[in-house]
Amino acid sequence: MQSSTKETIERPPGWKKDFGERLTRILGRDGVIYADDELLAYDADALTGYRIKPLFVVLPGTSGEVSRVMKMCYEEDVPFVPRGAGTGLSGGALPTEEGIVISLARMNRIIEVDIPNERVVVEPGVTNLSVTNAVSSYGYYYAPDPSSQIVCTIGGNVAENSGGVHCLKYGVTANHVLGLEVVLPDGEIIETGGKTPDHPGYDIMGLMVGSEGLLGIVTRVTLRIIKKPETVKTLFASFDRIEDAGASVSGITARGVIPAGMEIMDNLCIRSVEEAVHAGYPVDAGSILLVELDGPRAEVDAQMPVVEEVLRGHNALEIRIARDAKERDLFWKGRKNAFPAMGRVSSDYYVQDGVIPRSKLAQVLGRIGELSREYGLSVGNVFHAGDGNLHPLVLYNSKNEGESEKALELAGRILGVCVEAGGSITGEHGVGNDKKRFLSLMFDENDLDTMNLMRCAFDSKGLSNPGKVFPTPRTCVEQGMKPYAGHPLHKAGLGEMY
Amino acid sequence: MTESPIFNELTSIVGGENASRDPETLESYAVDGVVPKIILFPGNIEQISEIMKAASQAGVSVVPAGSGTKKGMGNKPLGADVILSTKKLSRVIEHESADLVATAECGIALADLQSCLRRKNQFLPVDPPHVPGGATLGGIIAANDSGPLRLRYGTSRELMIGMKVVRADGRIFKGGSKVVKNVAGYDMPKLFVGSFGTLGIIAEATFRLYPVPESSGTYIASFESLDDAHGAVRSLIDSALVINAVEHLNPALAGTMAERLGFGSDFNRYTLAVRIMNVSRAVEDQMKAVMDITRGSGGKGFIIGAENEEAFWHEVREFPWRSSEQAGAVLKAGVLISDVPRVFLMLDEISGKYGIRARAAARAGNGIVIISIDGDGESVINSVKELREFSESAGGSLTVREASPDIKPALDAWGGMGSSLGLMKRIKTAFDPGNILNPGRLF
Ligand SMILES: Cc1cc2nc3c(=O)[nH]c(=O)nc-3n(C[C@H](O)[C@H](O)[C@H](O)COP(=O)(O)OP(=O)(O)OC[C@H]3O[C@@H](n4cnc5c(N)ncnc54)[C@H](O)[C@@H]3O)c2cc1C
Repeated sequence: MQSSTKETIERPPGWKKDFGERLTRILGRDGVIYADDELLAYDADALTGYRIKPLFVVLPGTSGEVSRVMKMCYEEDVPFVPRGAGTGLSGGALPTEEGIVISLARMNRIIEVDIPNERVVVEPGVTNLSVTNAVSSYGYYYAPDPSSQIVCTIGGNVAENSGGVHCLKYGVTANHVLGLEVVLPDGEIIETGGKTPDHPGYDIMGLMVGSEGLLGIVTRVTLRIIKKPETVKTLFASFDRIEDAGASVSGITARGVIPAGMEIMDNLCIRSVEEAVHAGYPVDAGSILLVELDGPRAEVDAQMPVVEEVLRGHNALEIRIARDAKERDLFWKGRKNAFPAMGRVSSDYYVQDGVIPRSKLAQVLGRIGELSREYGLSVGNVFHAGDGNLHPLVLYNSKNEGESEKALELAGRILGVCVEAGGSITGEHGVGNDKKRFLSLMFDENDLDTMNLMRCAFDSKGLSNPGKVFPTPRTCVEQGMKPYAGHPLHKAGLGEMY
Repeated sequence: MTESPIFNELTSIVGGENASRDPETLESYAVDGVVPKIILFPGNIEQISEIMKAASQAGVSVVPAGSGTKKGMGNKPLGADVILSTKKLSRVIEHESADLVATAECGIALADLQSCLRRKNQFLPVDPPHVPGGATLGGIIAANDSGPLRLRYGTSRELMIGMKVVRADGRIFKGGSKVVKNVAGYDMPKLFVGSFGTLGIIAEATFRLYPVPESSGTYIASFESLDDAHGAVRSLIDSALVINAVEHLNPALAGTMAERLGFGSDFNRYTLAVRIMNVSRAVEDQMKAVMDITRGSGGKGFIIGAENEEAFWHEVREFPWRSSEQAGAVLKAGVLISDVPRVFLMLDEISGKYGIRARAAARAGNGIVIISIDGDGESVINSVKELREFSESAGGSLTVREASPDIKPALDAWGGMGSSLGLMKRIKTAFDPGNILNPGRLF
C-alpha cells in the first residue's frame, strides 16, 4: 500500500536483472532500455531541474503489451511512470528510482479517420499536429493546439488536459476527447466513451483527462475534429501599459465577442521574440495583444470593428490586421516561440501557469510587477489572456548562489496571488511534481481526500505515477473503503428491503 | 418504522416546517412506486451535510430530488427512505458577467437562473426538456440532460467548471474552480455529471456562460426520402456554417408537430429544422446557405416566422410531451451521426412488426435520437429490445428515459455499460460504502 517513492522496497538479490529479463520476454530486446547512457534521455521532461534515472524504460507497441507490463508491475509492487514526448512542464513524466518508465512513443499509429462522423482514433504516441495533418485535406482540424504541438503526444495532451491558444472559444483537450481505451494500473483494459455520444454510467473518460498518468495509461484515443472556419482574421494592438491590454480583453468579451484567441505579451517577451523570430512586433511597445476572430465571414466582419473600438478605447497605440495567412502565421509564430525565445535572454527561466478571472488581469499584473521588484528578478509575461491563463516567466541564473531558490519562491508567491484572485495554480501544464506543494492553496483536506477516494478506486496500490500531484502521499487503507455492509436498519430488522 | 428516531433526528436538522411525513405528500414523491418515509427541504449545504451524516450512520437510503421532472429515469430504486429536496437551495451565488461565469445553488430552476443571467445579456446554453416544468440545475447536471443546442455548445459536462458536493458521509468538498481553465487535481465535477445522485448531493455548480446571440433564424425543410434528408445533414455538417441545431424529425413526428403548431398538412415526411444564432447579418447569410444546401438535396422548406420560432423549438425540446403514467416509453439512442438514418429505418421496421407508433427527433449533428414508442406493453418491450441490440451493436447505447409503470420493471433503463462497469462500481463503493445514495438507480 505504498504510494511514496521515498521508501525503498526490499528486493532479493538479482531481482532487477530478473525483472528486466521478464520485461524483455514481453517486449523483445529493443523494447527495453537498460543502458545507463540511454536511460539518461528519459530522466526528465521539459522541466529539466528535476532528474531521476529509472530502473528501465520500456517501449510497448500494443495495449496488450502495456497491460502485461503493468500486471507484472502490480504483482511486484513496481511503480511506473507513463511518458509521451516528455515536453511536459511540470515534471509529470519524471521517473521514480524504484520504478520503470512506460514510453508510449512506439504506439504512434492513426487508427482511423472517419470524416462523416467527425472522429479520429489514434494511439497515444501520435503527435498533436499529425492529427490535424491527417484531416486538413478534408477541411477539418483538431482544435486544441499547445505550442508544443509538433512534438507533444495526444497521450500527454490527454493526461495534462492540454490547452493552447484557441481554447477560449474552442475549449481544452477534455472537450475534444470522446473515447479512451485505458489500461488500469492493475493491467485491466477498459474502454470508456467512444465514437458515439452519451454513454450511460459514470464519466470515467472525463476523469482520465487531466489525471496526469495517476489513474492508468491511455492506449487509444477517439478525438473530435471540427471544420475549419470560413474566415480567420488576426490583429495585434500595441499598448504603453500592459494593464490597458488586460482591460481590453474583458472589454471585448463584455461586448459579446468571443474571439478564437487572445494573447498578451509584455515588453520583455516582445523583445526576445523579435530577436528570435522577427514576427514584426513593435519592440518599444509596453505590451501587445493578439486577437484572432474566426467564423462565418459576416460574423467576423461585424465583430472586427467592435474589437477595434474596444482597443482604441483602451489606448491602443497601433492596431495591425494581418493581411494574409502568411502574415497571420508570422504573428502567431512570435507567440508560439515565446518560451524558447526567453532562453536566449536568460540562462534559466521558470514558467508558471496560474489562472485568474479575466476581469482581474490588470490588478494581478500589477501585483506580479511589484513582486518582481521585491525579489529583484525579472518576470516576463506572456499569456492566454482570453481565459486568464498566465505564463509568467521568472528569469534567473542558476549559477548565482541562491537565485534558483529565490526564483522558485517568487513563482510560488505568484501562484498565491492567482489563487487569492479566485483562480488556479495551473491552467494547462498540470501539477506534476512541480506544483504539488501548492495544491492545498486551492483544495482543503476534504477536497483532497475525495480525490484520493477516487484514485484508490483506480489504483489501490498507488503505483501509477506515484508521488505526483498530491502534496503528501496518501494511502488507500485508511480510507474507510469497506465492502458493502448492508444498512444497519435492515440488519436490525427495522427497515424493509425493496 | 416511521416513528424510528432517525426520522426525528432528520426532522430536527431542517426544522419541522421543512420536513414532511404526511402520507399524501409521501405518496406524491414516490419513485417508481417506492414511497419515501420522509421528505426533507434543507435550506443550506450545512444542513445537507448533517442529513447525510445522520443518514449514513443510520443506513437509511437517500434520494436527492430537484423538481422531480426526471424521476422516471433510471432503474427502480432499492430504497428511497428519504427524499432530499434541493428546492430551497435556489440562490444565484454570483454572476461575474465580465468573466462569463456564474455560480448557483443546485435547486434553482434553470428558468430562474436564465432570467437572472439575461439581465446581463448572457445565458447558460443548455436547453434540456422540462425547463418550463421547473427542471433544476442540479437535476440537469445529475442526468446530463441536454437539448438541440448541444450541437454548438455541448452539454452541461462541457460547460461546468466547478462544483460543491456533499458526500454520502456528509463531508463537503469542492472540485474544479471558478475559472474557465484549470487542471489542478482531478476533474471531479465530470464524475458527477450524469451520476444520477448516486455519488453525492450536488449543492452548487459554477458554469461558463455565453453572450445571448443577437439574432436567431430557423429553416424547416421536408424531404421526399430519408436519403435526401440525411444527404442534407451531411452537407450541412461538412460546411463551414456555424449551426446551433440540426433536428431531424421522422415523418410521424413531423406530422404531429405540424398539427400542434398549425403548419398545415402535408408534413408527414422526413423533416429537418436548422437553427442559426449569431449577429443578424451572419444569420441572414447563413440561412441563405442553409436553404441552398437543403434545396440541393431536394428539400422544400421555409424560414419560420420570428413569432413561431421559439414555439417550434419548445415543441422539439418537450417532445414527447408525456406524463409518466402514459402508456409506452421514451428512449434516447446515442449512435454515430451516420447511423441516424439506420435508427429511423429500424423504427419503420418495428412499427410494422409490432404495430407500435414510433416518433423520433434526432440531434442529427450529434447522433442523439429521442424516440417515443406508443403501443401495448409487450410490443413496446420488444421494440426497446431490438432498438437496444441495434444501437449497442453499432457501438452506441440506448437508454430508457421513461416508461409506463406496467412495463418499466421489465426494462433495464441503461443497457450495457461496457468494460468500465467494474470500475464504476468500485467508484460507487468508494464514495458510498453503505450504498445509501439512490441505491439501485444506476446499478
Ligand atoms: C515549448 C513548450 C510549449 C508548450 N506549450 C504548451 C501549451 O501551449 N499548452 C499546453 O497545454 N501545454 C504546453 N506545453 C506543455 C506540454 O507540451 C504538454 O503538457 C503536453 O501535453 C505534454 O505532452 P507529452 O507527450 O510531451 O507528455 P509527457 O511530458 O511525456 O507527459 C506528460 C504527462 O502525461 C503522462 N502521460 C503521457 N502519456 C500518457 C498516456 N498515454 N497515458 C497516461 N498518461 C500519460 C505522463 O506521465 C506525464 O504525467 C508546452 C511545452 C513546451 C516545452
